[in-house]
Amino acid sequence: MTTSRLPPAVFTLKQFLQRQKVLGLYRSMLKTIRQVPDDADRKYLRNWAREEFQRNKNASNQDAIRMMITQANMHLDDLRKSLALAKS
Amino acid sequence: MATRALALCVRSLTRSSTRLYQGSVIARSSSALLISNDRSFSAISCSQRTRRIEQSRVSQLSRQYGGLPPLTLEAISDRVMYVLKLYDKINPEKLKGTSHFMKDLGLDSLDQVEIIMAMEDEFGFEIPDAAAEKLMTPEEIVQFIADKKDVYE
Repeated sequence: MTTSRLPPAVFTLKQFLQRQKVLGLYRSMLKTIRQVPDDADRKYLRNWAREEFQRNKNASNQDAIRMMITQANMHLDDLRKSLALAKS
Repeated sequence: MATRALALCVRSLTRSSTRLYQGSVIARSSSALLISNDRSFSAISCSQRTRRIEQSRVSQLSRQYGGLPPLTLEAISDRVMYVLKLYDKINPEKLKGTSHFMKDLGLDSLDQVEIIMAMEDEFGFEIPDAAAEKLMTPEEIVQFIADKKDVYE
């Protein structure tokens, strides 16, 4: 169980950078979600983000991953925008 | 023109009354005294009252410099372990200072990100991305925080 979760030992540079990007995205996602005022919403969004990332964790096609990163960025932008709207 | 003047008057009245409320929280005794003194709501008495409350606030508000107890390595590691024990995916019995999050505790990279965020919350400072992904054991986290906060032995 522990070994299957390890990242594969050999990464190309591109894969490595992409992995970093994905993890950074998850971080900024969580940071944005932390600003959501409602407790239940925050929990829901956190679970949602985690599930989305986990669902695609076996994706290996680089183009597909890139597309998913773009999509996640769009979601993040949406979230930020609605947060800013809610505040103003 | 008349309506504008009226609105201005009302606004100043409400503002002064909210200020009165704030003042009463901080300097409850003095504001209670003031309320009993003048009940009339003329503009002059309003402004007078606010000024007096302002004065009492200034005299009562002294700046409190927050002095935290100095961090030691033990205190840091205690807090790190405490946060980790509260994290629901970690088995507290298996947790040791040297245990690797992924190899020993069976967490994934997303969990590691969440742990680092929890540490940021706990210690109140930001851990940059590049450093964050290298922190894989509780000991490394403790060492990193000690370096950041200038704690040595």
